[in-house]
Amino acid sequence: MINDKNSQKIVDIIRNYARKHSLWILAYGTGCGAIEIPPTMTSRYDAERLGVRGAATPRQADVLLITGYLTTKTLKRVIRVYEQMQDPKYVIGFGSCTINGGMYWDSYNTIKALDRYLPVDVYINGCMPRPESVLAGFAKLQELIQAGKADGAKKYKENLEWYRENQKKVIPTWRMPEYNW
Amino acid sequence: MEKTKLSIISQIKNHFNDAREKNYPYNRVDFSVRKEIVPQVLLYLKDVMGFKHLSHISCVDWLEDNEFELVFIVWSPADKIKVFVHTRLDREHPVMDNLDMIWRHAHTYEREMREMFGIQFTGLDAPEEFLLEDWQGPPPMRRDFDTETYAAETYWERPGREDAQDVRETIEKRTGEVLPDFAKNYKR
Amino acid sequence: MHEIIQITWGAIVSFILAFTVGITYMGLNRKITARIQNRIGPPWYQNFIDVIKLGSKQTSIHHGVMQHMGPAFIMVTSVMSLLIIPILNQNRFFPNLNFHGDLVFLLYIMVFGPLGMALGAGQTGNPNSAIGVTRGLSQMAGFEIPWVMALVALMIQYKTTSIVDLMNIQVETGKWLMFSSPFAFLAALLAMLGMFRYAPFDIVGAPQELASGPMSENGGKYLFVMMSAGSVFAFAKLTLYVDLFMGGANNLIILVVKTFSLYLFPMLYGIVSPRYRTEQSVRYFWGWPSLFGLLAILHAMFF
Repeated sequence: MINDKNSQKIVDIIRNYARKHSLWILAYGTGCGAIEIPPTMTSRYDAERLGVRGAATPRQADVLLITGYLTTKTLKRVIRVYEQMQDPKYVIGFGSCTINGGMYWDSYNTIKALDRYLPVDVYINGCMPRPESVLAGFAKLQELIQAGKADGAKKYKENLEWYRENQKKVIPTWRMPEYNW
Repeated sequence: MEKTKLSIISQIKNHFNDAREKNYPYNRVDFSVRKEIVPQVLLYLKDVMGFKHLSHISCVDWLEDNEFELVFIVWSPADKIKVFVHTRLDREHPVMDNLDMIWRHAHTYEREMREMFGIQFTGLDAPEEFLLEDWQGPPPMRRDFDTETYAAETYWERPGREDAQDVRETIEKRTGEVLPDFAKNYKR
Repeated sequence: MHEIIQITWGAIVSFILAFTVGITYMGLNRKITARIQNRIGPPWYQNFIDVIKLGSKQTSIHHGVMQHMGPAFIMVTSVMSLLIIPILNQNRFFPNLNFHGDLVFLLYIMVFGPLGMALGAGQTGNPNSAIGVTRGLSQMAGFEIPWVMALVALMIQYKTTSIVDLMNIQVETGKWLMFSSPFAFLAALLAMLGMFRYAPFDIVGAPQELASGPMSENGGKYLFVMMSAGSVFAFAKLTLYVDLFMGGANNLIILVVKTFSLYLFPMLYGIVSPRYRTEQSVRYFWGWPSLFGLLAILHAMFF
């Protein structure tokens, strides 16, 4: 009875509801985007009413919010943070820098497309996106979770070789711990 | 004792004969010296004339002259005057004396210049990596380093949209507004 | 046999009650904080959603055996203290495991949870956890002194170490202990600030400086256990205060009203306060609260 299909469906509905309404974000404040997080969280826009709340460590977080450009040096840390997070986990790319490099398109040290290196569930564009767009991004992510389509982590596990190859291309000396997750 | 800029210039020129000075308005004086006597000049400025604070060390790449120019900016809190000490290095073999025993924080600037311009400081005791982790290309701040090509080769670039439109033309078409002439120079 | 079934049943029901009420209080805390900060805030049931989500997360963290045991220790402590503390007057509906001397036992068992958590956090190897543990233990050395003094004063004054006896005294005389031994109540109330670890005493899990301290390596199901244990423990502590000082409760509605009004004290004190440093926190508890505790003992001995 427990493993029957219909009861699994009910469990999934409850789970997705809970995951949707309780997003603990780890704001990885690279670049200028970090300044848009405080207005989003505080009394003007108050993201907490949607269940969005800051988490202190990667272990506790559900959403990795990457706010802005990523140098190759930061990318290393972001990959480590992402791999320490527990399933289910989602990534939000924030600002044009994560989409196509933004104003750092010709920089010698900045990656241009985040989804080559980490699976991104939702992109929020803008330079910088205002808190309204950030909230819209969260709403989009909630929609995806509700529909069960936010499967970035699954994609990462299935295409791990491809992601690793891309990561190793920009990080030549690969001194990273192997996670057995 | 209050020092004027002219007294500083004459004092330096008395001690270091080949220093060439340039007197800027406000509280700035520039000197150009040979690279061998830079430590002596800076020590003299610090110990005798009271320029206690090293504000900055910067580097300029003169690609056409095949030279690097180092600029040391020192500041005297008592006299409120800053002195720029310029020196030129050979661009093929840029070697400079290490200055971090005069000012401890010169260490940081020197590490940065070693990484960004490839200038070697004799006796600089620091790890090779500073800001760039496992960097394998040429020093990136040199002017002959082509940033755009490097970025295009190293990092994957997202192709643009097929239906991307020119912003000004689209606005012109949509609203019938006539663009001023100067705006037409800035086409994408 | 009948008695065992009754006690088991009472334990299960009181656990469910404590869990529900505790989590609701935490949610109300978030809501009230938000309203005071001029925000709308999450709904009051937000913490239930959080708990379900944390429970449904996959967890693959392994740092060693003690790390898995740490949250279990806290849960055990919470449930054990809940089982000893009588929920209603005269053990109505929820028969409990209380016995003569349970107040002394409770003093020990309430320290057991943080110690287990300290062991668990120590094994994770995270420096933030280690700092959080040292801070937590120093703070415990602070607030345990007025707390123990208050309880000792009660024991001396009424010559009993049983919670049920103290409750019966209040029912018989009709006078709450917070009026008949006011200094003990004051000392215990101020010690409660440290027990709840809200600001300004949230130095253990300060998220900005310590990244949530001892919990920093524990995500998903560990956090689920810790959160449930924390809310059960919060309810148990509030019930203990109501039992000892506020005349117990005759039914659940009175219990909820009394515990919530008591809970408002550390909560509202926390919302308007910044964070203390460790030594400031310890000094706070060794100041006025300890003095009140001393006065309570003198009051109990000579009056």
